[in-house]
Amino acid sequence: MTNTRDIILTTEDVTVTYGTHEALHPTNLTFAAGEVTALIGPSGCGKSTFLRCLNLMNREIPHCAVGGHINYHGHDINTPKENLYELRKSIGMVFQQPTPFRKSIRENILFAPKRHGRIRSKEQADELVETSLKQAALWDEVKDKLDRSAYALSGGQQQRLCIARTLAMKPDVILYDEPCSALDPLSTMSVEETIRDIASTGICEAIVTHNMEQATRVSDRTAFFYVGDMVETGPTKQIFSNPKDQKLVDYLTGRFG
Amino acid sequence: MTRDLDAHAAKIGKQDKIATGILTLIVGLVLALLAAIVVYILFQGLGKMLTPGFLTNSPLDDENPGISFELFDSFYMLLWTLLFSVPISLGAAIFLVEYAPENWVTAAAKTAIETLSSLPSIVVGMFGSLFFVVVCNFHVSILSGALALTMFNIPILVRTIQQALEDVPRSQRDASLAMGLTRWETTTKILLPAAMPAIVTGVVISAGRVFGEAAALIFTSGSAPARLNFASTNFGSPTNPWNIFRPAETMAVHIWKLRMEPSQGNDVIAWGCAAMLMICILLFNVLARVLGKALAKKMTAE
Repeated sequence: MTNTRDIILTTEDVTVTYGTHEALHPTNLTFAAGEVTALIGPSGCGKSTFLRCLNLMNREIPHCAVGGHINYHGHDINTPKENLYELRKSIGMVFQQPTPFRKSIRENILFAPKRHGRIRSKEQADELVETSLKQAALWDEVKDKLDRSAYALSGGQQQRLCIARTLAMKPDVILYDEPCSALDPLSTMSVEETIRDIASTGICEAIVTHNMEQATRVSDRTAFFYVGDMVETGPTKQIFSNPKDQKLVDYLTGRFG
Repeated sequence: MTRDLDAHAAKIGKQDKIATGILTLIVGLVLALLAAIVVYILFQGLGKMLTPGFLTNSPLDDENPGISFELFDSFYMLLWTLLFSVPISLGAAIFLVEYAPENWVTAAAKTAIETLSSLPSIVVGMFGSLFFVVVCNFHVSILSGALALTMFNIPILVRTIQQALEDVPRSQRDASLAMGLTRWETTTKILLPAAMPAIVTGVVISAGRVFGEAAALIFTSGSAPARLNFASTNFGSPTNPWNIFRPAETMAVHIWKLRMEPSQGNDVIAWGCAAMLMICILLFNVLARVLGKALAKKMTAE
Protein backbone atom coordinates (compact mmCIF):
# COMPACT_ATOMS: atom_id res chain seq x y z
CA MET A 1 0.00 0.00 0.00
CA THR A 2 2.76 2.43 0.95
CA ASN A 3 4.36 1.99 -2.45
CA THR A 4 1.55 3.76 -4.19
CA ARG A 5 1.39 6.66 -1.74
CA ASP A 6 3.80 9.53 -1.12
CA ILE A 7 6.21 8.87 1.69
CA ILE A 8 6.18 11.84 4.08
CA LEU A 9 8.30 10.66 7.00
CA THR A 10 10.87 7.92 7.46
CA THR A 11 12.93 7.20 10.51
CA GLU A 12 16.35 5.58 10.17
CA ASP A 13 17.81 3.98 13.29
CA VAL A 14 16.13 6.52 15.57
CA THR A 15 17.13 6.10 19.22
CA VAL A 16 16.18 8.01 22.36
CA THR A 17 18.47 8.20 25.39
CA TYR A 18 17.74 9.74 28.76
CA GLY A 19 21.13 10.40 30.27
CA THR A 20 22.78 7.01 29.77
CA HIS A 21 19.62 4.94 29.51
CA GLU A 22 18.51 4.05 25.99
CA ALA A 23 14.72 4.19 26.15
CA LEU A 24 14.23 3.51 22.47
CA HIS A 25 16.48 1.21 20.45
CA PRO A 26 17.11 1.85 16.73
CA THR A 27 13.74 2.15 15.05
CA ASN A 28 12.96 2.26 11.34
CA LEU A 29 9.47 3.20 10.22
CA THR A 30 7.81 4.83 7.24
CA PHE A 31 4.75 7.08 7.23
CA ALA A 32 2.79 7.84 4.07
CA ALA A 33 0.31 10.53 3.08
CA GLY A 34 -3.34 9.65 3.67
CA GLU A 35 -2.45 6.79 5.97
CA VAL A 36 -2.99 6.26 9.68
CA THR A 37 -0.25 4.37 11.50
CA ALA A 38 -1.01 2.98 14.96
CA LEU A 39 1.81 2.58 17.48
CA ILE A 40 0.81 -0.06 20.01
CA GLY A 41 2.44 -1.89 22.91
CA PRO A 42 2.37 -2.15 26.69
CA SER A 43 3.04 0.87 28.95
CA GLY A 44 6.63 2.05 28.93
CA CYS A 45 7.45 0.34 25.63
CA GLY A 46 8.69 3.54 23.97
CA LYS A 47 5.77 4.22 21.63
CA SER A 48 5.05 7.71 22.97
CA THR A 49 8.75 8.44 23.21
CA PHE A 50 9.08 7.53 19.54
CA LEU A 51 6.07 9.67 18.58
CA ARG A 52 7.57 12.67 20.34
CA CYS A 53 10.69 12.33 18.18
CA LEU A 54 8.72 13.02 15.03
CA ASN A 55 8.02 16.67 15.83
CA LEU A 56 11.18 17.03 17.91
CA MET A 57 9.15 17.47 21.11
CA ASN A 58 11.78 15.43 22.94
CA ARG A 59 14.03 18.46 22.61
CA GLU A 60 11.91 20.09 25.34
CA ILE A 61 12.97 17.43 27.85
CA PRO A 62 16.31 18.00 29.59
CA HIS A 63 18.91 15.21 29.25
CA CYS A 64 16.95 13.59 26.42
CA ALA A 65 18.93 12.87 23.25
CA VAL A 66 17.54 11.62 19.94
CA GLY A 67 19.87 9.73 17.60
CA GLY A 68 19.53 8.56 14.00
CA HIS A 69 17.87 10.27 11.05
CA ILE A 70 14.31 11.49 10.72
CA ASN A 71 13.62 12.26 7.08
CA TYR A 72 10.73 14.60 6.47
CA HIS A 73 10.06 15.05 2.76
CA GLY A 74 13.48 13.57 2.18
CA HIS A 75 15.43 15.92 4.41
CA ASP A 76 16.86 15.06 7.82
CA ILE A 77 15.22 17.10 10.58
CA ASN A 78 17.15 15.54 13.45
CA THR A 79 19.93 18.11 13.27
CA PRO A 80 20.68 20.96 15.67
CA LYS A 81 20.16 23.42 12.82
CA GLU A 82 16.55 22.39 12.19
CA ASN A 83 14.12 25.23 12.93
CA LEU A 84 11.73 23.58 15.42
CA TYR A 85 9.23 26.38 15.21
CA GLU A 86 8.92 26.13 11.42
CA LEU A 87 8.78 22.33 11.54
CA ARG A 88 6.00 22.18 14.11
CA LYS A 89 3.77 24.31 11.92
CA SER A 90 3.56 21.39 9.49
CA ILE A 91 3.78 18.49 11.98
CA GLY A 92 0.95 18.92 14.46
CA MET A 93 0.38 17.06 17.71
CA VAL A 94 -2.68 16.16 19.78
CA PHE A 95 -2.15 15.09 23.37
CA GLN A 96 -3.59 12.58 25.80
CA GLN A 97 -5.51 15.08 27.88
CA PRO A 98 -7.50 17.67 25.92
CA THR A 99 -5.40 20.83 26.26
CA PRO A 100 -7.49 23.78 25.15
CA PHE A 101 -5.98 27.14 26.06
CA ARG A 102 -7.83 29.33 28.54
CA LYS A 103 -9.35 31.30 25.71
CA SER A 104 -12.52 31.31 23.62
CA ILE A 105 -13.19 28.57 21.06
CA ARG A 106 -12.41 31.01 18.25
CA GLU A 107 -9.19 32.19 19.88
CA ASN A 108 -8.05 28.61 20.43
CA ILE A 109 -8.18 28.04 16.67
CA LEU A 110 -6.73 31.40 15.67
CA PHE A 111 -4.05 31.66 18.35
CA ALA A 112 -1.18 29.95 16.55
CA PRO A 113 -2.02 31.10 12.98
CA LYS A 114 -2.15 34.67 14.29
CA ARG A 115 1.18 34.34 16.06
CA HIS A 116 2.64 32.97 12.85
CA GLY A 117 1.31 35.98 10.95
CA ARG A 118 -0.97 34.00 8.69
CA ILE A 119 -4.19 35.87 9.39
CA ARG A 120 -4.62 38.89 7.14
CA SER A 121 -8.32 39.72 7.43
CA LYS A 122 -11.41 39.07 9.49
CA GLU A 123 -12.97 37.12 6.62
CA GLN A 124 -9.93 34.87 6.36
CA ALA A 125 -10.03 34.30 10.14
CA ASP A 126 -13.73 33.41 10.11
CA GLU A 127 -13.21 31.06 7.18
CA LEU A 128 -10.29 29.32 8.86
CA VAL A 129 -12.32 28.84 12.06
CA GLU A 130 -15.24 27.39 10.09
CA THR A 131 -13.26 25.01 7.88
CA SER A 132 -11.10 23.77 10.74
CA LEU A 133 -14.08 23.11 12.98
CA LYS A 134 -15.96 21.42 10.13
CA GLN A 135 -13.00 19.16 9.39
CA ALA A 136 -12.92 18.17 13.07
CA ALA A 137 -16.71 17.58 13.00
CA LEU A 138 -17.28 20.16 15.70
CA TRP A 139 -18.78 23.03 13.73
CA ASP A 140 -22.45 22.14 14.16
CA GLU A 141 -22.07 21.81 17.91
CA VAL A 142 -20.25 25.08 18.54
CA LYS A 143 -21.08 27.46 15.69
CA ASP A 144 -23.34 29.56 17.91
CA LYS A 145 -20.92 29.87 20.79
CA LEU A 146 -17.55 30.54 19.20
CA ASP A 147 -16.76 33.27 21.71
CA ARG A 148 -17.49 31.15 24.76
CA SER A 149 -14.64 29.65 26.75
CA ALA A 150 -13.24 26.38 25.42
CA TYR A 151 -13.55 25.06 28.97
CA ALA A 152 -17.33 25.10 28.64
CA LEU A 153 -17.07 22.19 26.16
CA SER A 154 -17.22 18.50 27.07
CA GLY A 155 -14.03 16.43 27.11
CA GLY A 156 -14.69 14.94 23.67
CA GLN A 157 -15.51 18.34 22.21
CA GLN A 158 -12.36 19.79 23.76
CA GLN A 159 -10.30 17.07 22.13
CA ARG A 160 -11.91 17.70 18.74
CA LEU A 161 -11.22 21.42 19.29
CA CYS A 162 -7.56 20.52 19.80
CA ILE A 163 -7.65 18.59 16.53
CA ALA A 164 -9.33 21.55 14.79
CA ARG A 165 -6.71 23.86 16.25
CA THR A 166 -3.99 21.62 14.83
CA LEU A 167 -5.72 21.47 11.44
CA ALA A 168 -5.86 25.27 11.33
CA MET A 169 -2.07 25.19 11.01
CA LYS A 170 -2.49 23.32 7.68
CA PRO A 171 -0.10 20.52 8.65
CA ASP A 172 0.62 17.51 6.47
CA VAL A 173 1.37 15.28 9.47
CA ILE A 174 -0.65 14.96 12.68
CA LEU A 175 0.60 12.97 15.66
CA TYR A 176 -1.83 11.72 18.30
CA ASP A 177 -0.59 10.65 21.73
CA GLU A 178 -3.37 8.42 23.14
CA PRO A 179 -5.98 11.01 22.15
CA CYS A 180 -8.97 9.07 23.49
CA SER A 181 -7.68 7.70 26.76
CA ALA A 182 -9.44 10.43 28.74
CA LEU A 183 -12.70 10.18 26.77
CA ASP A 184 -15.94 8.21 27.07
CA PRO A 185 -16.88 5.68 24.33
CA LEU A 186 -19.15 8.04 22.36
CA SER A 187 -16.56 10.83 22.29
CA THR A 188 -13.95 8.24 21.36
CA MET A 189 -16.05 7.19 18.37
CA SER A 190 -16.40 10.72 17.09
CA VAL A 191 -12.68 11.40 17.49
CA GLU A 192 -11.87 8.18 15.61
CA GLU A 193 -14.21 9.16 12.78
CA THR A 194 -12.51 12.55 12.66
CA ILE A 195 -9.11 10.89 12.40
CA ARG A 196 -10.32 8.73 9.47
CA ASP A 197 -11.85 11.74 7.70
CA ILE A 198 -8.62 13.67 8.05
CA ALA A 199 -6.64 10.78 6.55
CA SER A 200 -8.96 10.79 3.55
CA THR A 201 -7.86 14.36 2.80
CA GLY A 202 -4.30 13.11 2.31
CA ILE A 203 -2.81 14.04 5.68
CA CYS A 204 -0.35 11.58 7.21
CA GLU A 205 -1.29 10.52 10.74
CA ALA A 206 0.29 8.49 13.54
CA ILE A 207 -1.58 7.50 16.67
CA VAL A 208 -0.26 6.02 19.88
CA THR A 209 -2.86 3.85 21.57
CA HIS A 210 -3.03 1.12 24.16
CA ASN A 211 -6.47 0.19 22.91
CA MET A 212 -6.10 -2.60 20.32
CA GLU A 213 -9.69 -2.29 19.07
CA GLN A 214 -8.98 1.36 18.40
CA ALA A 215 -5.90 0.43 16.40
CA THR A 216 -7.95 -1.96 14.22
CA ARG A 217 -10.74 0.57 13.74
CA VAL A 218 -8.65 3.58 12.88
CA SER A 219 -5.32 2.55 11.36
CA ASP A 220 -4.01 1.30 8.02
CA ARG A 221 -0.68 0.18 9.38
CA THR A 222 0.43 -0.85 12.86
CA ALA A 223 3.79 -0.97 14.61
CA PHE A 224 4.22 -2.97 17.81
CA PHE A 225 6.70 -1.74 20.44
CA TYR A 226 8.04 -3.79 23.33
CA VAL A 227 10.57 -2.58 25.96
CA GLY A 228 12.13 0.01 23.70
CA ASP A 229 12.13 -2.11 20.57
CA MET A 230 9.96 -1.79 17.51
CA VAL A 231 9.27 -5.51 17.23
CA GLU A 232 6.94 -5.86 14.27
CA THR A 233 5.21 -3.65 11.73
CA GLY A 234 2.89 -4.17 8.79
CA PRO A 235 -0.63 -3.55 7.51
CA THR A 236 -3.01 -3.48 10.48
CA LYS A 237 -5.07 -6.43 9.18
CA GLN A 238 -1.99 -8.59 8.93
CA ILE A 239 -0.64 -7.58 12.36
CA PHE A 240 -3.88 -8.54 14.08
CA SER A 241 -4.85 -11.60 12.04
CA ASN A 242 -1.43 -13.06 11.38
CA PRO A 243 1.12 -11.84 13.96
CA LYS A 244 4.58 -13.37 13.62
CA ASP A 245 6.57 -12.37 16.70
CA GLN A 246 5.78 -14.37 19.84
CA LYS A 247 5.72 -11.22 22.01
CA LEU A 248 3.12 -9.66 19.72
CA VAL A 249 1.06 -12.87 19.86
CA ASP A 250 1.23 -12.79 23.67
CA TYR A 251 0.26 -9.12 23.74
CA LEU A 252 -2.68 -9.59 21.39
CA THR A 253 -3.98 -12.58 23.33
CA GLY A 254 -3.82 -10.55 26.53
CA ARG A 255 -1.02 -12.41 28.24
CA PHE A 256 0.41 -9.06 29.32
CA GLY A 257 -0.73 -5.52 28.92
CA MET B 1 -12.85 -14.11 65.13
CA THR B 2 -15.79 -11.75 64.71
CA ARG B 3 -15.36 -10.63 68.28
CA ASP B 4 -11.72 -9.74 67.53
CA LEU B 5 -12.83 -7.74 64.50
CA ASP B 6 -15.50 -5.92 66.50
CA ALA B 7 -12.99 -5.05 69.20
CA HIS B 8 -10.56 -3.87 66.55
CA ALA B 9 -13.23 -1.70 64.89
CA ALA B 10 -14.21 -0.21 68.24
CA LYS B 11 -10.57 0.58 69.01
CA ILE B 12 -10.05 2.26 65.66
CA GLY B 13 -13.25 4.24 66.09
CA LYS B 14 -12.08 5.47 69.46
CA GLN B 15 -8.62 6.47 68.13
CA ASP B 16 -10.26 8.29 65.25
CA LYS B 17 -12.46 10.28 67.68
CA ILE B 18 -9.51 11.22 69.90
CA ALA B 19 -7.33 12.32 66.98
CA THR B 20 -10.13 14.36 65.40
CA GLY B 21 -10.87 15.91 68.78
CA ILE B 22 -7.25 17.00 69.29
CA LEU B 23 -6.99 18.49 65.78
CA THR B 24 -10.28 20.35 66.22
CA LEU B 25 -8.99 21.74 69.50
CA ILE B 26 -5.76 22.96 67.89
CA VAL B 27 -7.60 24.69 65.04
CA GLY B 28 -10.01 26.19 67.57
CA LEU B 29 -7.09 27.58 69.60
CA VAL B 30 -5.52 29.15 66.52
CA LEU B 31 -8.81 30.77 65.53
CA ALA B 32 -9.38 31.98 69.08
CA LEU B 33 -5.91 33.50 69.20
CA LEU B 34 -6.46 35.32 65.91
CA ALA B 35 -9.87 36.55 67.01
CA ALA B 36 -8.42 37.70 70.34
CA ILE B 37 -5.72 39.77 68.63
CA VAL B 38 -8.16 41.35 66.18
CA VAL B 39 -10.76 42.07 68.83
CA TYR B 40 -8.19 43.47 71.28
CA ILE B 41 -6.65 45.84 68.72
CA LEU B 42 -10.05 46.99 67.51
CA PHE B 43 -11.19 47.45 71.12
CA GLN B 44 -8.13 49.56 71.90
CA GLY B 45 -7.94 51.53 68.69
CA LEU B 46 -11.24 51.60 66.81
CA GLY B 47 -12.63 54.44 68.96
CA LYS B 48 -9.65 56.66 68.20
CA MET B 49 -9.56 55.59 64.55
CA LEU B 50 -13.15 56.67 64.01
CA THR B 51 -12.66 60.02 65.77
CA PRO B 52 -13.35 62.75 63.23
CA GLY B 53 -10.12 64.12 61.87
CA PHE B 54 -7.88 61.22 62.93
CA LEU B 55 -7.47 59.89 59.41
CA THR B 56 -7.43 63.30 57.77
CA ASN B 57 -5.48 65.52 60.18
CA SER B 58 -1.75 66.10 59.99
CA PRO B 59 0.36 64.43 62.71
CA LEU B 60 1.73 67.89 63.45
CA ASP B 61 -1.71 69.28 64.29
CA ASP B 62 -1.43 70.72 67.81
CA GLU B 63 -4.99 70.17 68.92
CA ASN B 64 -5.99 66.92 67.31
CA PRO B 65 -3.02 65.16 65.68
CA GLY B 66 -4.00 62.59 63.05
CA ILE B 67 -2.20 60.16 60.78
CA SER B 68 -3.03 61.50 57.32
CA PHE B 69 0.63 61.83 56.26
CA GLU B 70 1.46 58.35 57.54
CA LEU B 71 -1.54 56.93 55.71
CA PHE B 72 -0.44 58.58 52.48
CA ASP B 73 3.20 57.59 52.95
CA SER B 74 2.28 53.96 53.63
CA PHE B 75 0.42 53.66 50.34
CA TYR B 76 2.95 55.73 48.41
CA MET B 77 5.82 53.62 49.72
CA LEU B 78 3.88 50.47 48.82
CA LEU B 79 3.29 51.76 45.31
CA TRP B 80 7.01 52.29 44.67
CA THR B 81 7.95 49.00 46.29
CA LEU B 82 5.57 47.13 44.00
CA LEU B 83 6.75 49.09 40.97
CA PHE B 84 10.29 47.89 41.71
CA SER B 85 9.69 44.40 43.02
CA VAL B 86 6.93 43.02 40.74
CA PRO B 87 8.78 43.34 37.40
CA ILE B 88 12.06 42.07 38.87
CA SER B 89 10.38 39.11 40.58
CA LEU B 90 8.34 38.29 37.49
CA GLY B 91 11.47 38.24 35.35
CA ALA B 92 13.40 36.16 37.86
CA ALA B 93 10.58 33.65 38.30
CA ILE B 94 10.07 33.27 34.54
CA PHE B 95 13.78 32.73 34.07
CA LEU B 96 14.00 30.16 36.86
CA VAL B 97 10.94 28.18 35.74
CA GLU B 98 11.21 28.38 31.96
CA TYR B 99 14.78 29.10 30.96
CA ALA B 100 17.30 28.28 33.67
CA PRO B 101 19.36 25.19 32.84
CA GLU B 102 19.37 22.50 35.50
CA ASN B 103 22.81 23.09 36.99
CA TRP B 104 24.50 24.23 40.17
CA VAL B 105 24.14 27.94 39.34
CA THR B 106 20.36 27.61 39.19
CA ALA B 107 20.33 25.49 42.34
CA ALA B 108 22.46 28.10 44.11
CA ALA B 109 20.14 30.89 42.95
CA LYS B 110 17.10 29.02 44.26
CA THR B 111 18.79 28.43 47.63
CA ALA B 112 19.85 32.07 47.79
CA ILE B 113 16.27 33.20 47.23
CA GLU B 114 15.00 30.89 49.94
CA THR B 115 17.65 32.14 52.36
CA LEU B 116 16.90 35.74 51.53
CA SER B 117 13.22 35.19 52.28
CA SER B 118 14.06 34.41 55.89
CA LEU B 119 16.50 37.29 56.31
CA PRO B 120 15.45 39.40 59.34
CA SER B 121 13.94 42.65 58.10
CA ILE B 122 16.07 44.74 60.48
CA VAL B 123 19.13 43.34 58.72
CA VAL B 124 17.62 44.27 55.36
CA GLY B 125 17.14 47.75 56.84
CA MET B 126 20.78 47.95 57.94
CA PHE B 127 21.97 46.84 54.53
CA GLY B 128 19.63 49.39 52.96
CA SER B 129 20.96 52.20 55.13
CA LEU B 130 24.52 51.32 54.20
CA PHE B 131 24.00 50.65 50.53
CA PHE B 132 21.08 52.78 49.33
CA VAL B 133 21.40 55.66 51.80
CA VAL B 134 25.18 55.96 52.02
CA VAL B 135 26.82 54.25 49.04
CA CYS B 136 24.20 55.15 46.43
CA ASN B 137 23.68 58.49 48.17
CA PHE B 138 19.88 58.33 47.96
CA HIS B 139 19.74 59.76 51.52
CA VAL B 140 17.04 58.79 53.99
CA SER B 141 14.19 58.79 51.52
CA ILE B 142 11.18 57.06 50.05
CA LEU B 143 13.47 55.74 47.32
CA SER B 144 15.85 54.11 49.83
CA GLY B 145 12.91 52.75 51.83
CA ALA B 146 11.18 51.35 48.77
CA LEU B 147 14.42 49.72 47.59
CA ALA B 148 14.96 48.11 51.01
CA LEU B 149 11.37 46.85 50.94
CA THR B 150 11.98 45.58 47.41
CA MET B 151 14.86 43.47 48.73
CA PHE B 152 12.56 42.23 51.44
CA ASN B 153 9.71 41.50 49.03
CA ILE B 154 11.54 39.94 46.06
CA PRO B 155 12.27 36.50 47.58
CA ILE B 156 8.66 35.94 48.62
CA LEU B 157 7.29 37.21 45.32
CA VAL B 158 9.71 35.11 43.25
CA ARG B 159 8.64 32.01 45.18
CA THR B 160 4.93 32.73 44.73
CA ILE B 161 5.22 33.50 41.02
CA GLN B 162 7.46 30.47 40.51
CA GLN B 163 4.82 28.30 42.18
CA ALA B 164 2.05 29.87 40.10
CA LEU B 165 3.93 29.17 36.86
CA GLU B 166 4.82 25.63 37.89
CA ASP B 167 1.16 24.95 38.70
CA VAL B 168 0.12 25.56 35.07
CA PRO B 169 -0.28 22.03 33.68
CA ARG B 170 2.68 20.85 31.60
CA SER B 171 0.23 19.96 28.86
CA GLN B 172 -0.55 23.65 28.22
CA ARG B 173 3.13 24.36 27.66
CA ASP B 174 3.54 21.29 25.42
CA ALA B 175 0.45 22.09 23.38
CA SER B 176 1.72 25.57 22.67
CA LEU B 177 5.26 24.44 21.80
CA ALA B 178 3.82 21.70 19.57
CA MET B 179 2.09 24.41 17.54
CA GLY B 180 5.40 25.98 16.66
CA LEU B 181 5.29 28.78 19.20
CA THR B 182 8.54 29.87 20.76
CA ARG B 183 9.26 29.55 24.44
CA TRP B 184 8.78 33.29 24.89
CA GLU B 185 5.42 33.30 23.09
CA THR B 186 4.36 30.30 25.15
CA THR B 187 5.36 32.05 28.36
CA THR B 188 3.74 35.40 27.65
CA LYS B 189 0.62 34.25 25.82
CA ILE B 190 -0.22 30.95 27.50
CA LEU B 191 1.53 30.49 30.84
CA LEU B 192 1.28 34.01 32.26
CA PRO B 193 -2.45 34.38 31.54
CA ALA B 194 -3.09 30.95 33.04
CA ALA B 195 -1.02 31.77 36.13
CA MET B 196 -2.36 35.31 36.47
CA PRO B 197 -4.99 34.66 39.20
CA ALA B 198 -2.38 33.06 41.45
CA ILE B 199 0.17 35.77 40.65
CA VAL B 200 -2.27 38.58 41.45
CA THR B 201 -3.24 36.91 44.72
CA GLY B 202 0.44 36.51 45.62
CA VAL B 203 1.28 40.13 44.80
CA VAL B 204 -1.60 41.49 46.89
CA ILE B 205 -0.75 39.28 49.87
CA SER B 206 2.89 40.34 49.66
CA ALA B 207 1.64 43.93 49.53
CA GLY B 208 0.01 43.36 52.91
CA ARG B 209 3.33 42.18 54.31
CA VAL B 210 5.21 45.18 52.89
CA PHE B 211 2.51 47.55 54.11
CA GLY B 212 3.00 46.51 57.72
CA GLU B 213 6.81 46.40 57.66
CA ALA B 214 8.61 48.76 60.06
CA ALA B 215 12.11 47.47 60.83
CA ALA B 216 13.42 47.72 57.26
CA LEU B 217 12.28 51.34 57.03
CA ILE B 218 13.56 52.88 60.26
CA PHE B 219 17.07 53.36 58.89
CA THR B 220 16.13 53.89 55.25
CA SER B 221 13.13 56.18 54.98
CA GLY B 222 13.25 57.69 58.45
CA SER B 223 10.96 57.86 61.42
CA ALA B 224 10.16 61.54 61.61
CA PRO B 225 6.72 62.53 60.37
CA ALA B 226 7.20 64.30 57.09
CA ARG B 227 5.76 67.76 56.66
CA LEU B 228 3.68 67.39 53.55
CA ASN B 229 2.10 70.12 51.52
CA PHE B 230 -0.38 68.65 49.08
CA ALA B 231 -0.64 71.96 47.27
CA SER B 232 3.06 71.96 46.42
CA THR B 233 3.98 71.84 42.76
CA ASN B 234 7.74 71.88 43.30
CA PHE B 235 8.65 68.22 42.87
CA GLY B 236 12.12 68.75 44.30
CA SER B 237 10.81 70.12 47.58
CA PRO B 238 11.01 67.91 50.69
CA THR B 239 7.42 68.84 51.46
CA ASN B 240 6.09 67.71 48.08
CA PRO B 241 4.24 64.45 48.75
CA TRP B 242 5.23 62.93 45.39
CA ASN B 243 8.97 63.63 45.75
CA ILE B 244 10.64 60.26 46.24
CA PHE B 245 13.83 61.82 47.58
CA ARG B 246 12.14 63.09 50.75
CA PRO B 247 12.03 61.18 54.05
CA ALA B 248 8.76 59.48 54.91
CA GLU B 249 7.15 57.77 57.86
CA THR B 250 4.72 54.91 57.33
CA MET B 251 1.99 53.88 59.77
CA ALA B 252 3.99 50.91 61.04
CA VAL B 253 7.04 53.07 61.74
CA HIS B 254 4.78 55.69 63.32
CA ILE B 255 3.49 53.13 65.83
CA TRP B 256 7.06 52.17 66.71
CA LYS B 257 8.04 55.83 67.07
CA LEU B 258 5.08 56.67 69.31
CA ARG B 259 5.77 53.71 71.57
CA MET B 260 9.38 54.87 71.90
CA GLU B 261 8.14 58.15 73.35
CA PRO B 262 5.43 56.94 75.70
CA SER B 263 2.76 59.36 76.80
CA GLN B 264 -0.99 59.12 77.28
CA GLY B 265 -1.71 60.92 74.02
CA ASN B 266 0.86 58.98 72.02
CA ASP B 267 -0.48 55.61 73.19
CA VAL B 268 -3.98 56.42 72.04
CA ILE B 269 -2.73 57.50 68.62
CA ALA B 270 -0.57 54.36 68.35
CA TRP B 271 -3.60 52.15 68.98
CA GLY B 272 -5.70 54.07 66.48
CA CYS B 273 -2.92 53.70 63.94
CA ALA B 274 -2.62 49.97 64.71
CA ALA B 275 -6.35 49.47 64.14
CA MET B 276 -6.15 51.28 60.80
CA LEU B 277 -3.08 49.29 59.76
CA MET B 278 -4.74 45.99 60.64
CA ILE B 279 -7.93 46.85 58.81
CA CYS B 280 -5.92 47.78 55.70
CA ILE B 281 -4.05 44.46 55.80
CA LEU B 282 -7.27 42.50 56.30
CA LEU B 283 -8.69 44.34 53.30
CA PHE B 284 -5.62 43.42 51.26
CA ASN B 285 -6.21 39.76 52.03
CA VAL B 286 -9.90 39.96 51.14
CA LEU B 287 -8.98 41.82 47.95
CA ALA B 288 -6.43 39.12 47.06
CA ARG B 289 -9.06 36.41 47.31
CA VAL B 290 -11.74 38.33 45.45
CA LEU B 291 -9.42 39.40 42.62
CA GLY B 292 -7.90 35.93 42.27
CA LYS B 293 -11.30 34.26 42.12
CA ALA B 294 -12.73 36.80 39.69
CA LEU B 295 -9.77 36.44 37.34
CA ALA B 296 -9.86 32.64 37.47
CA LYS B 297 -13.58 32.65 36.75
CA LYS B 298 -13.18 35.06 33.86
CA MET B 299 -10.56 32.86 32.24
CA THR B 300 -12.13 29.45 32.67
CA ALA B 301 -15.81 29.94 31.99
CA GLU B 302 -16.35 33.64 31.19
